[in-house]
Amino acid sequence: MPDCPTDCRTAVNLGPSAPVSPFVTAIGVVSRASFAVSVDEILLARARAGEEAALEELFRRFEAPVYSLARRLTRSTHDAEDVLQETFLEIVRSIRRFRGDGSLAGWIRKVAASKALMKLRRRQGRPFEEALPEDLGDDGPAVVSHVPAASSVVERVDLEFALGRLSDAARAVIWLHDVEGYSHEEIAAMAGKTASFSKSQLARAHARLRDLLAPGVREEPCT
Amino acid sequence: MHLSLEDLIAVRDGEACADSALHVSSCPECTAELNRLRSLRQLLAALPDEPPSRDLWPAVKARAAAERQRRAWIRVAWVAAGLAAVFTLAIGVRGAIEAYAEAKLARQAKTLVAESQRLEHALRASERQGQVMTGRTAGAVVQLEDRIAYVDSRLSRAGGERFPSQEIIGLWQERVRLLDALVSVETTGTTYVGL
Repeated sequence: MPDCPTDCRTAVNLGPSAPVSPFVTAIGVVSRASFAVSVDEILLARARAGEEAALEELFRRFEAPVYSLARRLTRSTHDAEDVLQETFLEIVRSIRRFRGDGSLAGWIRKVAASKALMKLRRRQGRPFEEALPEDLGDDGPAVVSHVPAASSVVERVDLEFALGRLSDAARAVIWLHDVEGYSHEEIAAMAGKTASFSKSQLARAHARLRDLLAPGVREEPCT
Repeated sequence: MHLSLEDLIAVRDGEACADSALHVSSCPECTAELNRLRSLRQLLAALPDEPPSRDLWPAVKARAAAERQRRAWIRVAWVAAGLAAVFTLAIGVRGAIEAYAEAKLARQAKTLVAESQRLEHALRASERQGQVMTGRTAGAVVQLEDRIAYVDSRLSRAGGERFPSQEIIGLWQERVRLLDALVSVETTGTTYVGL
């Protein structure tokens, strides 16, 4: 693997021609399509009655989106597995009380997001807003790719890498707001912070991603 | 002057004021930045889900079962504690009621014994006067003394006034009534005492 100079950054072009989201609501907020899992009334009733097969069926339908959300927020396989287990323990424990006035998927996603945020706070043992990797300095390349041509795989790898450079708070807020579609007020309630905190973290995350994914750097080949 | 990132995000989310939206429509740089923000959001949403690398349902199932078991034991413990509390309370209440009843009986016995002693004293005083009585009066006296002797024998078997029961109280009441009648016969020579 060749050495890569610090100014050799590969980023994605995030112009208007970027791929279209799988699911965009009328107000333009992107909802995570993976949580768009349909659960019929019969399955829900069986799960409410505590039938183990029905609970397992719910788990099978939601394990990937819940794990994925937890993995995005915590960036730890171990923590994401914990969040998945704790989320479904909560579901098993409380599904009898689920009144059905909201969507089951929305409820499960909210439980998962809250557990993941709690995990972040416990893991850090410090305030949620404290600086993390994004403030470690700019030594070394922020986003490195040795694939010269732009492709969806390269974009994805770059984006994943850039997300990894954000602080826990900024990454959680950008994911919950821009991808999962939560409002700043909802994020504030889940994180125990204010809506202003959520807004500032979102702007901070976007500023950092803009720097990390700056267009034009790719033109300098990293060889 | 361009919009801040926070303002541009607000425009993107449809939460900005009219001035901000107007500015974006006339500013190519802010429009480009807005498009970049929109595209980035779409790229983020398009990132694929990551399924867990191992099956975690058995662990969830085991933890849920353990939790149910723990809750069941806690319920059993609470029920047992509640029953024990009710039992203890019942014993305590019963003990208190019994103690109250015993004290009441003891007070009654003490009063009756004192009254009995007072009547015996009056009877001895009457006997000292050596009053002559008729044959019918003497018969009534003998009858009363026999009945008092019978009550005394029953009192002796029942344990006297130390640990009074309802039966002993009844015997003491009977003794007082008989002594009262005897005193009345001795002092007035009445032959009919209503026995």
